[in-house]
Amino acid sequence: MSEANNPLTEEVRAMIGVSGEKLEASPPWGIEREGLRIFCNAIMDPDPRYWDDAFARSTKFGTIVTPPIYCSYLGMKTMQDEEDPISRAFAEDPNSDGIGGVRQGGDVGKTGLPVLPTPLTRILNAGNEIEVYKYPTLGDHIFSQARYSDIQGRITRDGAPMLVTTVEMTYTDQDDEVLCIVRQSQIRR
Amino acid sequence: MVSADALRTRQQLHYDDVEAGTEMPPLVIGPLTPTHLFRWSAAMENWHRIHYDQNFAIYHEDLPSILGQGSWKQSILPRYLKDLCLPDGWAWKVKFQHRAMIVPGNTLTVWAKVTGKREAEGLGLVDLDVGMRLDGDIESCPGTATIVLPIRGGRAIPYPFVAPKGA
Repeated sequence: MSEANNPLTEEVRAMIGVSGEKLEASPPWGIEREGLRIFCNAIMDPDPRYWDDAFARSTKFGTIVTPPIYCSYLGMKTMQDEEDPISRAFAEDPNSDGIGGVRQGGDVGKTGLPVLPTPLTRILNAGNEIEVYKYPTLGDHIFSQARYSDIQGRITRDGAPMLVTTVEMTYTDQDDEVLCIVRQSQIRR
Repeated sequence: MVSADALRTRQQLHYDDVEAGTEMPPLVIGPLTPTHLFRWSAAMENWHRIHYDQNFAIYHEDLPSILGQGSWKQSILPRYLKDLCLPDGWAWKVKFQHRAMIVPGNTLTVWAKVTGKREAEGLGLVDLDVGMRLDGDIESCPGTATIVLPIRGGRAIPYPFVAPKGA
């Protein structure tokens, strides 16, 4: 790979290891039943640990808990004090893909991480690595902190530059206990 | 699909019960429909049109159809491993790649096979190959996982989970 077409520029390389600030991922009212119900239905998991108070009390958790990485999805929601992201995206670009204008550069925009200084903005999800230590419960507040744990530059078979980025998100609760760690690898072209 | 009652009364799988080559009972989901994909996009407020706008997906993005979300798949493998460990085991970690696209009409078979096991600090760690096959034979999410199963006569698996040092 020649330096001229290497997408892993010095500016991009300098982002490896960079962390964002710790952010509250949950809404101001914390983990609640309705959001949990919607999520569990969408993954088709009827586990009574997520909704049956009496049964949940009889388990080792002692209370309602959430699915393993439920907390990692909370930060994607739009709060009511924000400008409607869909209307803005399509006002800026009538051919918006629904996400490019809604979130700059994909989900990274909501992680607190600085945006990568690269023109490669078309993103594909390459894979995930997940470690789970504790399940959140109702009323918990969830915090996330992101880090660029790895960035690699490649040239595809058809000669196009590509970056493979890995963002590591650590999720903690209000007691600073680690809930889970999610590493997401993305292909940027 | 698994019922709530089945998850209430699940019988514990123990470390002693598995060995390299043991195939875990699979989880079958599907066939998926556009409505399943739309439900996830709405639940997650993921407005990417490739997941619910068929004309956009096919004619603008040159895709075969609307696509199943990677973020949805990301929750299915942990959910499956969680079920395998119920009630007192722990689905510790999983790693997987997104390969074959999922489209409406696909039936997913989530699977796991034991590749090895080891004891660490009195805990039974079981290593797995895992994946999500489409329509029986196309692998969509190849990966590996480690679950923790109770050892008969051994100590309870701690909750919150504390990983054995060096494991």
